Amino acid sequence: MVIPEAARDAIDAAIGRYPEPRAALLPALHIVQRELGCVPLEAARELAAIFAVAPVEVLELLSFYNLFRVEPGGRHRVNVCTNLPCSLRGARALLRGLEAHLGVAAGETTRDGRITLGHEECLGACAWAPMLRIDGDYHENLDLEDAKRLLDGLE
Amino acid sequence: MPTITVDGRQVRVEEGRTILQALDDAGLLMDGVDVPHYCWHPGLAVDGSCRLCQVEVEGLGGLQIACNTPVADGMVVHTTSDRVRDARAGVMELLLVNHPLDCPICDQAGECKLQDYAFEYGAAGARTREPRRALQKRVPLGPTIVLDQERCILCRRCVRFCREVTGTGELGIANRGDRSVIETFPGVELDNPYSMNVADICPVGALTTRDFRFKVRVWFLEERPGICTGCARGCNVWLGVAHGEVQRYTARRNDRVNGSWICDAGRLSYREIAAPDRLRTPLVRGEDGVLRSAELDVALDAATRRLRELIDAKGPGMLAALASAHLTNEDLAALRRLLDRLGVDAAGLTLVMGEGDDLLVHPEKGANAAGARAAGFGDPAPILERLRGGGLEGLIVLGHDLLHPTLLGSPDALDDLATLIVLDTHRSELERVADVVIPGRHLAEKGGTLVNAEGVVQEVAAAVEPPFPATAQAEVLDRLAEALAPRLAQAGGDG
Ligand code: SF4
Ligand code: SF4
Ligand code: FES
Repeated sequence: MVIPEAARDAIDAAIGRYPEPRAALLPALHIVQRELGCVPLEAARELAAIFAVAPVEVLELLSFYNLFRVEPGGRHRVNVCTNLPCSLRGARALLRGLEAHLGVAAGETTRDGRITLGHEECLGACAWAPMLRIDGDYHENLDLEDAKRLLDGLE
Repeated sequence: MPTITVDGRQVRVEEGRTILQALDDAGLLMDGVDVPHYCWHPGLAVDGSCRLCQVEVEGLGGLQIACNTPVADGMVVHTTSDRVRDARAGVMELLLVNHPLDCPICDQAGECKLQDYAFEYGAAGARTREPRRALQKRVPLGPTIVLDQERCILCRRCVRFCREVTGTGELGIANRGDRSVIETFPGVELDNPYSMNVADICPVGALTTRDFRFKVRVWFLEERPGICTGCARGCNVWLGVAHGEVQRYTARRNDRVNGSWICDAGRLSYREIAAPDRLRTPLVRGEDGVLRSAELDVALDAATRRLRELIDAKGPGMLAALASAHLTNEDLAALRRLLDRLGVDAAGLTLVMGEGDDLLVHPEKGANAAGARAAGFGDPAPILERLRGGGLEGLIVLGHDLLHPTLLGSPDALDDLATLIVLDTHRSELERVADVVIPGRHLAEKGGTLVNAEGVVQEVAAAVEPPFPATAQAEVLDRLAEALAPRLAQAGGDG
């Protein structure tokens, strides 16, 4: 079992909140990711057993949302919004610049395990485009130099 | 019963059905009323994902998808208006945005709904300049099916089949938007006894069977109706015939028998037709005890002589017949005529029992067990008993199911018979002990009538000629009966 006991209890509690147990699969994925840092395939298989669905149904949900990952990422997740308003204000160049700065492509993790770089769809901060998100926090109205400084400051 | 009007035609429909279902129920769908559709399938739940089936419903704003719009009394539907045609053209354009257009090397080409509707509704060129998505072209999903991710239009028919019909749930759609692909969970294969149906229902060339992939261009195939002989379900199949040979079976819809599905074993049983172990020539055992090939006339003479001698010497009570459950009603009737003329009562059915399931596969392994029972061929146990105990002198055997371990097992018990006449489609151990062996025809080569486990009587015509001279079992038996007739007429006079 890769899903720890405590997480299992949280999942059961989530199931209890919905008339249709299956509806708790999404919250369950969040619980597992919070607990394990990602949703490894083994955990997906366990969730499938808990919810009595085929494992591929968990995979469908897991891969539909880019918030979930099946492999542990770096200690920090840096996501640059590349939706239209951000792109009009230079988000793609920003992302390319950060790729060069960190030496990884979007979707990859730096060798020291510090940062997983990625891009993201609209986060509702268009008025302050371009923006990126570090873990839970928004950083807005950036140029490449600001962004590099932010990243360099990460543990 | 509500009535709806479709393109000016009144259609009586059942409450609670959707427009597409109602048209299908009425036998009009694609046969009078053309509503193109990809995701809807009569054997699956409504999905409403492809949007191709849009129609105009008077009184409702926008266009409605016919597959998921419930009928209502008095509803007026238009399926051929300009608005509808424009909508179809729009859907086709979107479906083709990422399609690889590799029809020249695609197995589906020629029987592809994407080709058909692109031809009917599509534009001559694409308006997009972006590169088409490049994905995996040959992903083995399991032992039977290969996926081309680029060709998939994400109709989810295959996914729903595995969830709703087999309940095995191997397939899903991973990722989102233009990255969506059909996937299996790592380490889980698409592997169930009905897996190959997904290739039948895939409207495009995304799913192909390993068996048929790259075998024949489908425009060389002539599709002829047939019946699978694998078990007592008697599933309806299409025989794809090219170059005089059956190249594949696909499911032929019959809601009374098999719905839209067939099992994988049945699907592959077309191979039995041109199998290397087909019995290709009559065989007659000579004075020296060696079995040699012979002309049919010679074999029939030998069989006649042997049967006559046996009956003259021992009477018809020492002769029995065993018929396989693969024979048609016509074959069985001919056998019955022969036995009646000979005065033989002992007749049994050699029916092999095996595994069944609650979808289609029936434990009785023979397509006409019910027909045989109705024709008076019943429990073979008394005959098998007499065979084992040496209580019979002669036997007429049709098919070699008798050698199945649950019946006689080995042919040793037949060693002591004075006369053993065999009519069969395939070679078997019976040749070791038979006096005369006569090749018969496979159902696909003779046609005939079969009764399935539910009592549904089904008739099919011959679809191919055997590649060697073989005569339908019924005809062989009738010729035998005729050859024996003078002697029997005389016997009748004696009586
Ligand atoms: S593989 Fe075929 S049946 Fe399955 S979703 Fe794609 S197009 Fe539909
Ligand atoms: S279920 Fe029986 S009749 Fe149907 S395809 Fe399979 S073997 Fe043939
Ligand atoms: S057939 Fe109606 S939406 Fe696909």
